[in-house]
Amino acid sequence: MKGDKEIRHRPHWFEQFLEGWSVFWQNPLGKIGVTLLGIFALMAFSSFIPPLVNPMYHPMTGVDPEIYSSVGPSARHWLGTDFMGRDIFSQLLAGARIAFMVGVSAAFMSIFLGTAFGMIAGYMGGFVDTLLMRLADVIMVLPTLLVVLILASLFGQLNIWTIVLIIALFRWPGVSRVIRSQALTLKQRPFIEAARVAGASHIRIIFRHIMPNVLPLAFLYMTFRVTAAIIIEAALAFLGFGDPGTVSWGMMLQWVWKTGHMFKALYWLLPPGICISLITLSFYMIGRAMDEVLDPRLRREETAR
Amino acid sequence: MALLEVEDLSIGYRTRLGLHRAVEGVSFSLEEGKSLGFVGESGCGKTTVGMSLMGLLPRNGEVLRGRVLFEGRDILSISEEELRLLRWKKISMIFQAAMNALNPVKKVADQISEAILAHSSSVSKAEASRQVEGLFQLVGVPKERMRDYPHQYSGGMKQRAVIAMALACKPRLIIADEPTTALDVIVQAQILEETRLLQEQLGISIIFISHDISIVADVCHDIGIMYAGELVEYGSREEVFDSPAHPYTRALLSSFPTLTGNREMLKPIPGEPPNLVDPPKGCRFRERCQEASHECSLISPAWTELFPRHKVRCIRFERKKGPQ
Amino acid sequence: MEIKRYLTRRIIQILVSFFVILTVLFLLFRLAPGDPVSRMIDPSMSPEDAEHLIAQLGLREPIWRQYLVYVKNFFTGDFGYSFHYGRPVLKVIWEKLPNTLLLFTSSIILSALVGIFLGKIAAWNKGKPLDSWMTIGALVTHTVFLPWLALILIWVFAYKLGWFPITGIISEEIWLDPDAGALAKALDVGHHMVLPMATLFCIHFGSYLLIMRSSMLETLKEDYILTARAKGLRESVIRDRHAAPNAALPVVTSVGLSLAFSINGGALTETVFTWPGIGRELVFAVSQNDYPLAQASFLLIALVVLAANLVVDILYAYLDPRIRY
Repeated sequence: MKGDKEIRHRPHWFEQFLEGWSVFWQNPLGKIGVTLLGIFALMAFSSFIPPLVNPMYHPMTGVDPEIYSSVGPSARHWLGTDFMGRDIFSQLLAGARIAFMVGVSAAFMSIFLGTAFGMIAGYMGGFVDTLLMRLADVIMVLPTLLVVLILASLFGQLNIWTIVLIIALFRWPGVSRVIRSQALTLKQRPFIEAARVAGASHIRIIFRHIMPNVLPLAFLYMTFRVTAAIIIEAALAFLGFGDPGTVSWGMMLQWVWKTGHMFKALYWLLPPGICISLITLSFYMIGRAMDEVLDPRLRREETAR
Repeated sequence: MALLEVEDLSIGYRTRLGLHRAVEGVSFSLEEGKSLGFVGESGCGKTTVGMSLMGLLPRNGEVLRGRVLFEGRDILSISEEELRLLRWKKISMIFQAAMNALNPVKKVADQISEAILAHSSSVSKAEASRQVEGLFQLVGVPKERMRDYPHQYSGGMKQRAVIAMALACKPRLIIADEPTTALDVIVQAQILEETRLLQEQLGISIIFISHDISIVADVCHDIGIMYAGELVEYGSREEVFDSPAHPYTRALLSSFPTLTGNREMLKPIPGEPPNLVDPPKGCRFRERCQEASHECSLISPAWTELFPRHKVRCIRFERKKGPQ
Repeated sequence: MEIKRYLTRRIIQILVSFFVILTVLFLLFRLAPGDPVSRMIDPSMSPEDAEHLIAQLGLREPIWRQYLVYVKNFFTGDFGYSFHYGRPVLKVIWEKLPNTLLLFTSSIILSALVGIFLGKIAAWNKGKPLDSWMTIGALVTHTVFLPWLALILIWVFAYKLGWFPITGIISEEIWLDPDAGALAKALDVGHHMVLPMATLFCIHFGSYLLIMRSSMLETLKEDYILTARAKGLRESVIRDRHAAPNAALPVVTSVGLSLAFSINGGALTETVFTWPGIGRELVFAVSQNDYPLAQASFLLIALVVLAANLVVDILYAYLDPRIRY
């Protein structure tokens, strides 16, 4: 079994990574995705600069003393100001930070849960498996956005971390399915059998032998989960249930919509929407490109008959 | 004139590593009502030959040289539409049923009558359905199973349906590609027997492709042995099966149990066929040949006629006969 | 025979799922801070009415009895009174349900059909510019932020061009006009539905297109496609009758799997276009702290998603004989 060997010893992980990266980079989707993401990362990192330049550029509290309403782009406010005279450009930068924070942390948590539950279900089998997978079935049919809404109506205003946590709690089943089936096939492999015979505990087998083999797949799903989390947070903020202490792109759209500026202030309506759409697109493209790196089937030439 | 005449056929596949020369200079002919078997390991080009006869090479496949004359017409140079009309009407195929040769979401009978309807506009649907009933009877599938889907059939029944499908348009030539592989031995023997009877009754020519020389010898009048894209031995069943000349043919014969005869020790042929992207000079079998000499790597062996029809490509026979 | 077992199993699974959702929501309701009574009973209600409702909802009973009453009430449709509307919740959402079903089902069906059709064409033209453009288009429309897309569509087609109404489902002047016939009314609703439907359509068809495309590419490698070609069938017949029906099966599955995602989008679309459906009702109820309305809307939406899942299962069984027989 060729596959076995490759999976068991991975001494040159760095070389593997480089090889994977070169395939990834050859893929136009991967290239565009990473470039776009790089731009957004730059935006997120530079989001602290405008308030330092002048307090009036603070995305949340900074108000231009000379402007009390929404005004179009100028040298002073590159993308104009919102209804209270706050700078849209610095809000956009702050929004990038929030998007990364929400997207990456929610995705990380849901992937953690999904991988853990998937490995346990696949490895343990039996009752544990059935229980976890039925639970996954139930969660999967629930629309996450509406779940967060009903929780908001029960528990009141949710802060950004609670939102992240809820998204993570409701987004693991998809991953766990995939990881489970991977764990199921791994379980049959000789090296797991060997480890079991050698007296390794279940925990040790799961962490030492199964986890390294399912992690690449988990990371692939992480990119898709990032997009899901960003969209849900943005939608929630757009509907007016976001964390009032943060400036997210969804929040910006809510302001332009709710304050009745959408027909007059295109300079305000366009940027946040474009940003949400593009960051989603870039993660999505990266996911698809990674898919091709991890699934050599797609790279295969049409073989001779 | 022979029904089918293939001259110097060479086929390549474009791959990332370069041109994979799957078939090299293959020539043979087939008379009306006769059957011919091609035998070789997987990857020897036998299926490629079969597919090229129907113009069904995969997208990266290309005929590099040669002619395929069917009823005197070169089917390599006719238009795609003419080719489409020729397929199944004149040349049909029996696929391996273990392959997904039948569409899983369509009723078996519909898949057969579809072929009939595609090739004769005068036939009504009811008439086509009656013909399918006749075909089912011919191959021995109960006609109650006509409305069933492929997954409801057993392996043997699927294979029979595939044979019925091949007969649907009363073709002059059938190409049977590993038609019994993956069936159990008893069903395999039944189907082979039925195939032979059908062929004799209906007078259809058959090209039979298999990796198993004993099966081919059971069914075919003539046998061609292929190795690494080349035909290495060709002759009647008796000549090739009973007095094999090429070392590869002999190795093949000792690596398969006969269907009926005594089971000898199976001797797998050691080694692997050469890489066809950059085929070696000289005889292609020499690296696995126990009788190879230094000369084998220098000269590509030419055909030597042992009997008027029994030909072999091996340098040892060239030497015996002396330079011509 | 097989199909009966398959559907029975699915129905039981769906009922269990719903029961779990119902129960968890009850537990959360009890766990949430604050007084359950004040959450369920409109403060502006007269004391007698309030007492009557408290008794009906079993809010003063021990918790296990409360749960039983809650389950019973769900099945008899007693959801309490909406604070905002001052009417039984069931009546409120019952009126909105058809609007949601109309918008949701028509846009899902349309986007699935178009996605399947275009995915088929893209796969058939693999590697050509047409395929690249379709794939890129699908990626972009699929990832665009839905509420923003809705706003942009309103901006362009309703505000700038004035082709469609900005929001709502009906024009009063037509519906109040005694002379207006059923056709005029239907056309009016259709006119209002174009933009919300276009929004949902854009978001969905791309993913169906991409799934159909890759599924079709896999299917075209199948042996029965080679058989079909060997049979001398026309290329269009091979594509439409042999490859597409098989390739569309994973799309049907994915429609089912993405229903939850779709209903999120449905609620957002309804909200932006003030389309009077249950999704918008849920958003509205949450913003108004109208818990009885929010709870009932949520449960009804969950029920709709589960029922739609069942419909997809039945459709799948109908399309794939391997399940039917």
